[in-house]
Amino acid sequence: MSTKKAKSAIQLALSNSAVMKACADGGANQLYQITEGMQDRFLPDFIAGDLDSIRPEVREFYNAKGCEITKTPDQDFTDFTKCLSLLLKKLKENEVDAIVTLGGLAGRFDQTMATVETLFHAKNMTSLPVLVIQDSSLACLLQPGQHILKVATGLEGEWCGLIPVGQSCIVTTTGLKWNLTNQLLKFGVLVSTSNTYDGSGTVTVKTDQPLLWTMGIKKDQTDELI
Amino acid sequence: MDNVLTPLECFLPDGKMTFGLVILNQPIVRDQLEYLWSKAVMKACADGGANQLYQITEGMQDRFLPDFIAGDLDSIRPEVREFYNAKGCEITKTPDQDFTDFTKCLSLLLKKLKENEVDAIVTLGGLAGRFDQTMATVETLFHAKNMTSLPVLVIQDSSLACLLQPGQHILKVATGLEGEWCGLIPVGQSCIVTTTGLKWNLTNQLLKFGVLVSTSNTYDGSGTVTVKTDQPLLWTMGIKKDQTDELI
Repeated sequence: MSTKKAKSAIQLALSNSAVMKACADGGANQLYQITEGMQDRFLPDFIAGDLDSIRPEVREFYNAKGCEITKTPDQDFTDFTKCLSLLLKKLKENEVDAIVTLGGLAGRFDQTMATVETLFHAKNMTSLPVLVIQDSSLACLLQPGQHILKVATGLEGEWCGLIPVGQSCIVTTTGLKWNLTNQLLKFGVLVSTSNTYDGSGTVTVKTDQPLLWTMGIKKDQTDELI
Repeated sequence: MDNVLTPLECFLPDGKMTFGLVILNQPIVRDQLEYLWSKAVMKACADGGANQLYQITEGMQDRFLPDFIAGDLDSIRPEVREFYNAKGCEITKTPDQDFTDFTKCLSLLLKKLKENEVDAIVTLGGLAGRFDQTMATVETLFHAKNMTSLPVLVIQDSSLACLLQPGQHILKVATGLEGEWCGLIPVGQSCIVTTTGLKWNLTNQLLKFGVLVSTSNTYDGSGTVTVKTDQPLLWTMGIKKDQTDELI
């Protein structure tokens, strides 16, 4: 992501519209770097994780500024999962409508898959939507049931997809260019990628198993946000 | 019969693995491209992969002419298409279907390669960028098993991914090029998995999204990883960055 675009996205995310802000371990390095020259204006509420990725000088900086830094013991859970868990604990019930995550969909491929795994675990932690955004991609795990996605903000990119990541799903949709009707989605059979919208502004998805919704974010728009 | 694979053999100067190369529409690491290009038996671009190739070989595109370019051709830039066309590269428009450019390009590559001509297919790109495309890459790996029994390796930057079919696999991971991390990802369905050679091994363990996925794993130092799985299972590993920088 170019510096300008990244700065815009970060600034937007860390503006007053976020109720609480946290970094998962090395996420603090990213924050520190991208807010260079104005780190004081972008202090997270806490940093949590194994703390094996955060750089010493970064840790010292945020520690000195009074940010809570929590080392969570090594387990079978990723830094993202543990950080999310702590964030949910700290947020009062009904205080927020969703969790927004920056990063997690590119780089080390095992970590990309670990991000998706965290989305699965999140359903045991909260019923709030957990959105993951990296550059021009968004991903969100839809639980079994019926979902209505409003996609007429003007910020939507051209593509979208439905990914049966963990298991096959029977899916019915409206609002897409290539809709599905009681269609089996399964790796090796059919996965919906490079799909797009029919222009109605609303997508509905019915699924019998957890199903990953992914969509593009218009690049020009995120440049113009600030 | 066990399947034996050295995933990073394509980067070894004395490696014996012969392979076909596919370039996808993602930023390419120049050193990796030059090295793999020199060793590949046949080279193809999947649609916009031609843009990536053209850009990364700026000033010397003539030395890196693909054997063919295939796909919907809705991503390849007009000037790039004209350039390779003028140079005599075969450009094949494959009709829109339920298959991605990668799948269609792979299919054509396999048709063109004589039986037993190569040991593997190596792909550059596909694991980052548009997230639906990342998932489409994995889908292609699933379809590949119906097209060939050759290993299909996907490499982007410092990550490699490869789909292990049901059965027993022996992975040689002592080339010196291995990064520190590896993982086993039950994409598509749950798997019962047994391993050796990892720091955190599995014994008849259920791997399933929402239950357990092996990420941030590493090696036990023995140099060999064995994986037994009852369903297709995605192996992923890191590639040492310094090494790929020093290859040329």
